[in-house]
Amino acid sequence: MKTSIRDMLYEEPGPKTRKNIRIFTILSILLIAALLAVIIRQFAVTGQFAPRYWNFFTRWTTWKFLGQGLWVTIESALTGAVIAFVLGFLLMRGKLRRNKILHAVSVCLIEFTRGVPTLLLIYFFFLIVPQTGIKLSAFWKITLPCAISACGVVAEALRAGVNAVPYGQTEAALSLGLTETRLFYKVVFPQAIRFVIPSLIAELVIVLKDTTFAYVVTCADLMQNAKVLISNYDAMLSVYLVVAVIYILINYLLNKLSDRLAFRLKTGTAERSAA
Amino acid sequence: MSQENTPVIELRHVNKHFGSLHVLKDISLQVKKGEVVVIIGPSGSGKSTLCRTINRLETIDSGDILIDGVKIPEEGKELASLRSQIGMVFQSFNLFAHMTILDNMTLAPVDVLKIKRKEAREEAMRLLERVGVADQAHKVPAQLSGGQQQRAAIARALAMHPKAMLFDEPTSALDPEMIGEVLNVMSELAADGMTMLIVTHEMNFARRVADRVIFMDGGVIVEEADPETFFSSPKTERAKLFLNSITAH
Repeated sequence: MKTSIRDMLYEEPGPKTRKNIRIFTILSILLIAALLAVIIRQFAVTGQFAPRYWNFFTRWTTWKFLGQGLWVTIESALTGAVIAFVLGFLLMRGKLRRNKILHAVSVCLIEFTRGVPTLLLIYFFFLIVPQTGIKLSAFWKITLPCAISACGVVAEALRAGVNAVPYGQTEAALSLGLTETRLFYKVVFPQAIRFVIPSLIAELVIVLKDTTFAYVVTCADLMQNAKVLISNYDAMLSVYLVVAVIYILINYLLNKLSDRLAFRLKTGTAERSAA
Repeated sequence: MSQENTPVIELRHVNKHFGSLHVLKDISLQVKKGEVVVIIGPSGSGKSTLCRTINRLETIDSGDILIDGVKIPEEGKELASLRSQIGMVFQSFNLFAHMTILDNMTLAPVDVLKIKRKEAREEAMRLLERVGVADQAHKVPAQLSGGQQQRAAIARALAMHPKAMLFDEPTSALDPEMIGEVLNVMSELAADGMTMLIVTHEMNFARRVADRVIFMDGGVIVEEADPETFFSSPKTERAKLFLNSITAH
């Protein structure tokens, strides 16, 4: 059965190809092993395995401190994602309007938010917004720019989903007497969202990674707390390594969730009817 | 206005262009209550477009289209309300892919006609029973065969209690062994007195079920006759050529 992209891209290998695959597999294993050996050797030579770099990880308070930061990171990323989704949805609706002004404004906002770097937006909220007298907490100074920088991408993803719904679905709904608004919410959008769940979760991962800029506004997220640990224990490499692993784990879990959701939405209705 | 004599569907001097292509040329046509009219013709003759103008899925450039003697509205709630009174069956079924067959059936009755959900479901099950797919009610469209999907699509249109039904090549996307089951449902509908306008390539079906056959070519109605006359002794040269070309093999 053809299931993965790999199966769809290549035909079944013949004897010669199988031999080549074996040779290259062995070569790459050797190469990776050698690379790891060099890294570990460098660590040992420069004394990165010294207990003073790692001892504090055995203390509960260290993990509690990192956990507090992680919680802020997750809170910020999820809040930002929800805001990005709402804004993205509105921009998508605006862009699909026949009203020329609404359309043009939406297009401009989408292009602006997609084009401007997140860090620039953060500086805007950090340095310029306070001058106007608006007081924001550190949490919002990082969450809002991350959300804004994601909303244009979300809008485009949603629009791609809407475009992917066959026009026959709209025609059928029209022929049954549904108005354009009703058919959008009842027929088109529920199908569109199924197409773009993977893109939306990929964007959530980007928001989560963008929140590491929180140090700019001194919001105590995972990255900021890691920096505190580093200066307290003078242990840069070990802390960065542990924090990187935490980020990778979370994003890996999110991507797994995305696969699961996409699979569920494709087969979910089938299971329901089989029951 | 005398109800009995007013045609359910009437087109008066309808013209339509796709860019520079004149797809409907001064089409006039009437379908009376309970009448079954079949439109045939080569592809590109404008027959599908004609069918789709009647509930304004295609707009027209000039002329009038009347339902029960009233011009069809051009937009808004009035147009939606008119569409809800005319059933339409598409070549590609167009069942809502994310809903079960039952939800497909009840969406418009609940949303448009404001029928209570429970009643809508009961009626839907009766209709699905009638077209023979009641056992598929809780599946999604992709799990059904093409023939089952098209029968469900017919039932979905019937759930709105339409005063007429439009069929736009309802069997063209079906495997040969499934065409019969859909045509049977349509024959029963015709026998029950439903007003129907059918675009099709199924000549035997047209001959059996139609009260009147309309032959279109190049955007004009070339010939119009009862099925016996049309199929056994077509008057125009173009109709003869067309009938020969499809029966020659």
